[in-house]
Amino acid sequence: MEASEEKTEKPSSGVSAAQRRAELRRRKLLMNSEDRMNRIVGFAKNDSDNSGNIVIVRLEPRFHLDLDRTQPWSSSSPSPRPSELPGASLEDEMGGLRQRAKLERGDDLSGSPRRSLQQYLSRFDDAMKLRSQLANDKQAQDGGSDSEELDPFRIFRLIGSVLLAVFVRVFVCKYLSIFAPFLTLELAYMGLSKYFPKVEKKTQTTVLTAALLLSGIPAEVISRSMDTYRRMGDVFSDLCVYFFTFIISHEIVLLIASEAP
Amino acid sequence: MGEIPGRQSPDAGSSNLSSSSASLRCSTAGTPRRRLLNMAWFLVLSSVFLCNLMKTLLPSISSFLTKMVQKDAEQESEMRAEIHQMKKEQSSISMMDEFARYARLERKINKTTDKLKTHVQSRTAQQAKMKWVVNIVFYILQAAVMISLIWKYYSDPVTVVPPKWIAPVERLVAFPTGVAGGVGITCWLVVCNKVVTLGLSAIS
Repeated sequence: MEASEEKTEKPSSGVSAAQRRAELRRRKLLMNSEDRMNRIVGFAKNDSDNSGNIVIVRLEPRFHLDLDRTQPWSSSSPSPRPSELPGASLEDEMGGLRQRAKLERGDDLSGSPRRSLQQYLSRFDDAMKLRSQLANDKQAQDGGSDSEELDPFRIFRLIGSVLLAVFVRVFVCKYLSIFAPFLTLELAYMGLSKYFPKVEKKTQTTVLTAALLLSGIPAEVISRSMDTYRRMGDVFSDLCVYFFTFIISHEIVLLIASEAP
Repeated sequence: MGEIPGRQSPDAGSSNLSSSSASLRCSTAGTPRRRLLNMAWFLVLSSVFLCNLMKTLLPSISSFLTKMVQKDAEQESEMRAEIHQMKKEQSSISMMDEFARYARLERKINKTTDKLKTHVQSRTAQQAKMKWVVNIVFYILQAAVMISLIWKYYSDPVTVVPPKWIAPVERLVAFPTGVAGGVGITCWLVVCNKVVTLGLSAIS
């Protein structure tokens, strides 16, 4: 009788034990959501024993992202806040001191983990976007030619440089250096640039610009530097065309002079 | 190039060079042969022009070589035509009425498409390899040409003008010859490269 009663009690107690275990597991999962998130984002954490003698050491700033949390913060927080410390009783002096020091450090960092994570995620998104832009620009460069674009003002500059070089060779070079008229021409171009339609040049994403963007340099600074670099490139192009035309015209003049009787 | 009388070596004093450059032009200008010999600037210019022209034609050259090397190029067009034909036939069949035939055609199309994809992948890989080889060969040749030009005209200027014309940067322009009033190979190479690039980009 008793055995049968025990047998009948066992299944019911087994069911209830199974239910109890399931309930415990569910609670454990809900309580440890923060630990799981920390493990996912890679924060190191040494769990302490429940006895309270061993101090919880948090090496990285605490990060809490619990979307399905049902219980309040303080009940499941593995380490107490510093505000709770004065009221807490310290069973072991050494452990308590260590705990206080580490908690203070954790509290200082508690304001920044979310910001740092957001900053990291935003930088990661930027890196992914720049990578796709780089791939697109590289495809465009492979598909098209790698030549420089010639807008009307640029063509005007080059023609002006050619004409000035010929003029300087014929009339001016005997009296002064050939670079003096060139500098005057460049100054004139600076003034004339506003009278020409401005062509918006699409900034190409290169590895250099991507690296500069990711290193924290503002995009405005990068675009201004690129613009300055482009202007210097234009002046260099003008100089090369000017000098080339000068030398060619000089050689042609010599050739004509030598062939003349 | 033979030694041109009147042209002094860079070791001579620079004080004599300004007068010698003018006399050099006078002495060489009268003789056509010497004039031709003195067309170093033209040689450098034409070399740079040819190199840049070849650079713009590299994709065409690599695709031409790929077509020459590839033996089964017709197979791909045949497969495409076959797939097109089968798709056309499949579109004329009603799936409800002749499902077996439709499914058979579908399988054939899929099989031929897979074969075509494999073929295209291998052709693309071959093309990329050929492009890479052509680029490497071109850049080696270009480097060889440039180095030989620099070696040849390291101490001789490609052309000479009166030094005061190119003041105050006569030393920079004359680098590495050291000849006052001379245009060094490096400066001329940079200038020619820039001008030829601009010219070719304007043409293309």
